[in-house]
Amino acid sequence: MSPKERAPELSADVPRPGPVPPLRVGRPSRSTLANGLEMMVVARPSVPRVELRLTVPAGAAIGPSAAASALLRAGILLGTKRLNQEEVSESIQRLGGSLTVRQDQDRLQIAASALSEAEEELYRLVFVLAEQPAFPADELETERVKLIEGLRTARATPEFPAAEQLQRIIYGNHPYGRPEPEEPAIRKITRRQLLALHRASFLPSEAQITVVGDVIPRRTLARLRSAFATWSGPRRRLKVPRVRPHLCPEVTFIDRPGSVQTVILVGASGPAPGHPDHIPLSLASAVLGGSFSSRLMSNLREDKGYTYGANSSLDGHLKDSLLGAEIEVRTEVTAASYVELTYELGRLASVEVPQDELEATRNYLAGVRVIFLQTQAGLASSLAQIRGLGLDLRYLESYSDRLAAVTPTELRRVAARYLAPAQLSTVMVGDAAKVAGSVSSLVRTRILSPKRSKES
Amino acid sequence: MVKPAPSKVPQPRRLRLTNGLDVVLSPERSSPTVAVGMYYRAGFRLEERGRTGFAHLFEHLMFQGTTIVPKADFGRLITGAGGLLNGSTRHDYTNYFEVLPAPALEMACYIEADRMHNLDINPETLRNQVDVVEEEVRVNVLSQPYGGFSWLWLSQYAFSTYANSHNFYGEFADLESATVAEAKAFYETWYGPGNATLVLVGDFEVERAEEIVDRYFSPVPSRPAPPPAKFDEPVPKARTEHQHHDRLAPNPRVAIGYRTAAFGTPDHLPLALAARVLADGRSSRLQRRLIRERELLLQVNGGPHFPIGDSFEFRGPALFTIEATPRPGVTTKVAVAAVDEEMARLAEEGPSPDELLRAKRRELGAYHASTDSRLGRMRELGVLAAVHDRPELVDQLPKLYQQVTEGQVQKAVADWLRPEHSTVLHWLPKADGPQS
Repeated sequence: MSPKERAPELSADVPRPGPVPPLRVGRPSRSTLANGLEMMVVARPSVPRVELRLTVPAGAAIGPSAAASALLRAGILLGTKRLNQEEVSESIQRLGGSLTVRQDQDRLQIAASALSEAEEELYRLVFVLAEQPAFPADELETERVKLIEGLRTARATPEFPAAEQLQRIIYGNHPYGRPEPEEPAIRKITRRQLLALHRASFLPSEAQITVVGDVIPRRTLARLRSAFATWSGPRRRLKVPRVRPHLCPEVTFIDRPGSVQTVILVGASGPAPGHPDHIPLSLASAVLGGSFSSRLMSNLREDKGYTYGANSSLDGHLKDSLLGAEIEVRTEVTAASYVELTYELGRLASVEVPQDELEATRNYLAGVRVIFLQTQAGLASSLAQIRGLGLDLRYLESYSDRLAAVTPTELRRVAARYLAPAQLSTVMVGDAAKVAGSVSSLVRTRILSPKRSKES
Repeated sequence: MVKPAPSKVPQPRRLRLTNGLDVVLSPERSSPTVAVGMYYRAGFRLEERGRTGFAHLFEHLMFQGTTIVPKADFGRLITGAGGLLNGSTRHDYTNYFEVLPAPALEMACYIEADRMHNLDINPETLRNQVDVVEEEVRVNVLSQPYGGFSWLWLSQYAFSTYANSHNFYGEFADLESATVAEAKAFYETWYGPGNATLVLVGDFEVERAEEIVDRYFSPVPSRPAPPPAKFDEPVPKARTEHQHHDRLAPNPRVAIGYRTAAFGTPDHLPLALAARVLADGRSSRLQRRLIRERELLLQVNGGPHFPIGDSFEFRGPALFTIEATPRPGVTTKVAVAAVDEEMARLAEEGPSPDELLRAKRRELGAYHASTDSRLGRMRELGVLAAVHDRPELVDQLPKLYQQVTEGQVQKAVADWLRPEHSTVLHWLPKADGPQS
């Protein structure tokens, strides 16, 4: 019998999947060194590798300036007094591993991996990188030029200036709103300033190590202890000030002459992860634009054909979360797209989400979490992230239960509170001569001329 | 000596259904997840004249629902089961994949079988997806500095036949004039079970997976699989240089595309290791010499099929591409000369034992990292099975890399990465773009 013949009843026959399996992280082994360093190890012997995350409170919003933070991030890979940058790279390659430095607003992370047979060498290498960076002056010069070039390229895209402007609006003078550094600031940072920032922010008492892999936890804790025990530093907390978010009722339109598309970005400061509203809001955000089947995708892409991708996000920080939705649409349909975006935001805030759509979105978030945690790297990154946000393992393991507890009424309440059009600031980047007129007939609009890019 | 750790992963099982569908099953039970990959041997190269971009446009139509599962339900079935879905079009294949919690395996197989047989191709979804693809080109290429650099443009200069050198994303006029009849014909020709490979990786018992595959795919009628097309063309005998002007780019960049060795030939794996020796990390030759020591470049990267694939993702002719960003004040011409010098040096002296050892260790680490991810292993198996008919290689590659010698890398570099076999694309900022 061919599928054609059995076609009529098949739609009812689509095999229904069973429930999303629960998240099983396994029991972590923990220990804290005398210097305050918190260590967590999870055995996950799926492949003979080990993943390490070391996080310290050296995020982009910490420290005296964005330029210093950015150079600190780049400078870690320049090596130590004993190992130059090529030797660091050679070392990690011999371990069959990888090494990167990441930074979010609150924390800096050294992410490294190795074949599990080379576990101890990996820990010793990460320790010297964290504890004894050399920031050699001449090599720092190259990092400055790379940073400047990278930012010039980013500023030539439409997305980057939109995001930067939105954060400036929402956060004002709060360090979360700090724009990426300008060229003169990058040139001015001295090696001495970097060393000072390093001393102030690479604090063992505020640092966390997460190891996931083919390891024996007790032995791994002992190995970590012997690698990191001599790390010293003052015991103090780095405080990020409380966020007092701003709202701009008018659209900020950054002119990008000749742009073939307009970026439309809306956003606001939302509750920090751990706040009771955070889980319902992450569901609301996912209904709006979290997946291929989200409302923004269905409407703006699959129905109207205005855009390739439409998404919303909720990025957790220590002090809040950044809530945003973004679409890139062809110039001609800018105003029409803004109307649809506003409609979807308003609908979420004023009409309860149907039970089946809520159920599907819950499953999506729970399933994606299980998928992401399947690898050693995904689990290590997730654990490091929640620990950095001051949350614990229970946060991960109770995730699907808390998703399951959200009702349509609750979802509408948080959508109205955080995601309704009146709660959001809007930035557009596009060709003002072509579209600012049609946008300003819908909403009060302030046009900014493009920033002149500076010569290097 | 580097000894690859013995693999704990069970051998993949391969079978063929009577309708011709090639099936690879790779159980991996360390987490309750599965990846489902459907590979069709239909890529950019077989697009007809006047139909540039058609293979990718057609990929979009595969997400538009079937006569059984309507468009509105298609994606929701997968995301609502807690899964992710996507697809990609490449030179010699197009793939569709889902990563899901294990209990959704059967549903994903149903969906792939259904869209192999009952795709609903109609004027509304075609029109809609032409618009969407044009937005994709705008957001990824036309509205970005360095949009499509270098993969989309370099091949347009590096190859001479239409099949290898046309615009793979598609001219808008071609996209807009595509018809439903053409889409149906493309589907009939290239999307039958005999032209496809199904890969399942993850938490299942092989017997049960075989049963599911048989239940949903065996009823799909066979469609004659076209013989594999040949896209060979001669290796260039002289370097050609080309310029592209970009009004959004703040700085120049340059790409050098060398014709590279085909899968299964003696130079193929040595060139993959050569890519690591040349451009993998700060200790690689190009980064060490040209960024740090000579201070000519800010970035340099590359390898076979870079930046959209790897050594295995092609069957027809392909490029080993080096992309470089010069320091301000350094011309792309100087950058190219500097890369040429390093290539000549490697061809002359070969890699040191330590360089080659590090390259092999990185391959081994990358193999294990990929095996740890359902999607990673599905992709490796999919390409090896669908493009090269050799899925069993997936777990043998670390050992095969291990056997490569310094002399083999030296010879492969000397034979292939020569200026005369290359095409250079100078990507230059355009000063006279529209200004406000």
